[in-house]
Amino acid sequence: MTQTSAEPAGLSPEAEEAGFYHEAALNATWTGARLAMGALSFGFGAFVFAYFYLRSLNSHGRWYPSTLTGPHLWAGTLIMGLIVVSAAVQTAVLQRIKAGHKTAWQRGALVALVLGLAAVGLQIWELLNLPFFPGAAGFASVFTGFYPVYLVIALMAMIWLEMLIMRCRPIAEISFVEQPPTFVEAFAVQRFQAALSAFTVVWNYLAATAVVAWVLFYLVH
Amino acid sequence: MAIDIQPEKVKGPGGREPGASRPARPWWLRPAIHTAVAGAVIGYVVGHWLGNFLGSNYQQLPLSDSSDLPIVLGYLLAVVGWIAGLGVFNDPLRQMTGRPVPVEEEDASAAAGLARYFRYSLDHKVVGIQYLVGMIIYFCTAGLFAMAIRAELLSPAYHIFSSSTYVELVGEHGTMMMMLMSSLVVGPFGNYLVPIMIGSKRVAFPRIEALSFWLTPAAFLILFSSLMLGGFPFGWTGYAPLSIQATQGADSYAVAFGLMGISIILAGFNIIVTVICYRAPGMRWSRLPMFVWSMLATSVLMVLAAPVLVGGMYMIITDRTVQTAFFADQLGGSSYLYQNLFWFFGHPEVYILALPGFGIVSEIIPVFCRKPLFGYKTAAAGMIGVTVLSFFVWQHHLFDSGLNPDMRPLFMLTTELISIPTGLIYLVAMGTFWKAKIRFTVPMLFALGMYFNFLIGGISGVFLSDVPADTTEHGSFFVMAHFHYTIMGGLIFAFMAGVYYWLPKMMGIKLNQTIGKIHFWTMFIFFNSTFLPLFAVGLAGQPRRVFEYASNLQTINDWVSISAFCLGGSILIFVINFVWSTVIAREREEGNPWQSRGLEWQVASPPPPGNFARIPVVLSGPYEYGTPGAPPVADLNPPAGVVAAAFTGAPTAAAEA
Repeated sequence: MTQTSAEPAGLSPEAEEAGFYHEAALNATWTGARLAMGALSFGFGAFVFAYFYLRSLNSHGRWYPSTLTGPHLWAGTLIMGLIVVSAAVQTAVLQRIKAGHKTAWQRGALVALVLGLAAVGLQIWELLNLPFFPGAAGFASVFTGFYPVYLVIALMAMIWLEMLIMRCRPIAEISFVEQPPTFVEAFAVQRFQAALSAFTVVWNYLAATAVVAWVLFYLVH
Repeated sequence: MAIDIQPEKVKGPGGREPGASRPARPWWLRPAIHTAVAGAVIGYVVGHWLGNFLGSNYQQLPLSDSSDLPIVLGYLLAVVGWIAGLGVFNDPLRQMTGRPVPVEEEDASAAAGLARYFRYSLDHKVVGIQYLVGMIIYFCTAGLFAMAIRAELLSPAYHIFSSSTYVELVGEHGTMMMMLMSSLVVGPFGNYLVPIMIGSKRVAFPRIEALSFWLTPAAFLILFSSLMLGGFPFGWTGYAPLSIQATQGADSYAVAFGLMGISIILAGFNIIVTVICYRAPGMRWSRLPMFVWSMLATSVLMVLAAPVLVGGMYMIITDRTVQTAFFADQLGGSSYLYQNLFWFFGHPEVYILALPGFGIVSEIIPVFCRKPLFGYKTAAAGMIGVTVLSFFVWQHHLFDSGLNPDMRPLFMLTTELISIPTGLIYLVAMGTFWKAKIRFTVPMLFALGMYFNFLIGGISGVFLSDVPADTTEHGSFFVMAHFHYTIMGGLIFAFMAGVYYWLPKMMGIKLNQTIGKIHFWTMFIFFNSTFLPLFAVGLAGQPRRVFEYASNLQTINDWVSISAFCLGGSILIFVINFVWSTVIAREREEGNPWQSRGLEWQVASPPPPGNFARIPVVLSGPYEYGTPGAPPVADLNPPAGVVAAAFTGAPTAAAEA
């Protein structure tokens, strides 16, 4: 549980209540991020199930017919790489802001944002230039079905990151180093940090998903 | 001439004084249902045009035969326009542009009056009432479809509807009931009561909670609009390949069901996090009301099972629009894939419907037995057991589908196993009834009716889980009678118990008890009179979803139809009672009419803004009826330092005391 600047003794009922719900909000951010990953896992699981089910069934020999031209390996690798690097950058600069370096995080987060958006853009390009018809085979269907979903979720993650960058702007750099003088400021910093940690966990999860998808769709199909 | 040395006041945006609130916009410019409708219309037109534009460039889409893409994009952008019109995107856009987000209490949605119920409100109590009214409307609409179905079945040969219209009615009835009634309890009672029952002033994610409600009218209207597009001929299950070959009404089905899937994920997400993180000091897991346990278990099912449903609906849509081949066997897909995806959600869905009902009746029976709930931990364990096991039974729906026969015994066993935790919940009820001086109030009557009905539904379910029985009765009215006993006999009776029990809390108004008793007895008698004979009809071989049947079954079918009309009449009695009591008579009931120990009954009815004057400290469990020396359930005005000690972990003298 994150420590707050509240002291148990001498607090007014209003301050007690503010502290209690602030603490609850921090925990809710942590719990919500993990729960969202659980829900996403089951959502992605539908596609993973479809992948292995259709692959093992190989209905009419059309899971991956020899005439099918697969997706561009270079594009898939680049997209996956951009997302992984973006998540790695975000994870690295998270440590910087924990050490009190707001500006370093802002720069790193901007890099992570640009890399993530580049991956999304490249994914859109790839889907618009597929070398196969979506219904050409079982593999083609799962590929064409999965990646738009992933794209939308990755885009939403990038919107979340953009919001965090904007939220960080009005917070004074010193607030990440020293305890802010008022509860309001302290709570704002802690909520931002909680949201940032939650985002980083989710973005890393999405990066891991990108790697698994890359293996399934580009390497072992 | 004197010089004014006063510094110039800093003006806010628009020339406002510092600290002054923004001037109120005229009502027609404020986000509410009218702007949502406008947004939906604009969104549909844009989406339809976009679909035609994209489709015309998509050479392999046979536009002459199908216009699914414009319809689907029309629906999707209509939903985007709908929620944009409600103002759902306002706060995210403020955050994206670095502008401050108004705190909840200052939000326009906190306005009083009837108008707040037509807005994107962040007050969990408003959302609960929105859900309550919405769910009653959806239920009655779907019930009218049932009346039409039974009217058609009055005669084996004379027809009111064509065969295709009949199937459309069956599909609309089944889908509307199964899809929208997923939120029948979580929506109204879960959102309204769970925060109060755990001693919280708020929910974890009010925006997500509000969005979960506002997606339901969109899903309802989209599903309803299917009738204008030729309906869908595959019932509520949407089996492929029929669902990917049917006319455009199937688009409505897939979009609406997918949308409702998203809604229940969001609703469950908020409930779980709220229960885990927002419990008042002293509200240990061992003191959690059974209703909250049931909401938690149901929400877990919602959050984990519904994403798979959304995935399945999405695959139907892509098969129908961009022509993927998930469910087309000849192109490398498989129609069995759909069945697996659907029932991975579909069977937990049964418990999404059943568990809240058990939660309601478990909450009610100790109050009217004036005894502690027998086997509290057993009941909680039963709910957790049902939740876990429900993910491992889905293939019993595929026993007759050509499934590998070696898989049948496994899923037969898991299905039979789930009767054990369900039985535990029954055991708890029987133990509570034992030697109790029961008060036969209207909520208690509905609770007792629920146990009676669900017993028949449950036992026939265990019977059907056996492969030989299932193979014999699959697709017959026997199965239909079974699940109506569990869902209508279980959930709807429990819902009615909840309405009669908690409406004084939610609205400060008590429903007329005399009319309530008439409602219960007519509903109980005609429910059993409708569905009990259908077991016999099914055993005699009458199939579901077919509008003709053997002439020797006409008498019993007529009995069922007339009973069904009377059952509809009993629901009408409820609607009349609801409208009479809440709009016309308005008999105030502001205290604790049932002498309940529940935390929700320790505050005024309806609860004030913020639910509690101060964060309560829970002192004991909610079911200590008749226990000598039992402490009060909570201290609503705890001494300073106790709440702070709860979140800092530092003991204080007050907390120790």
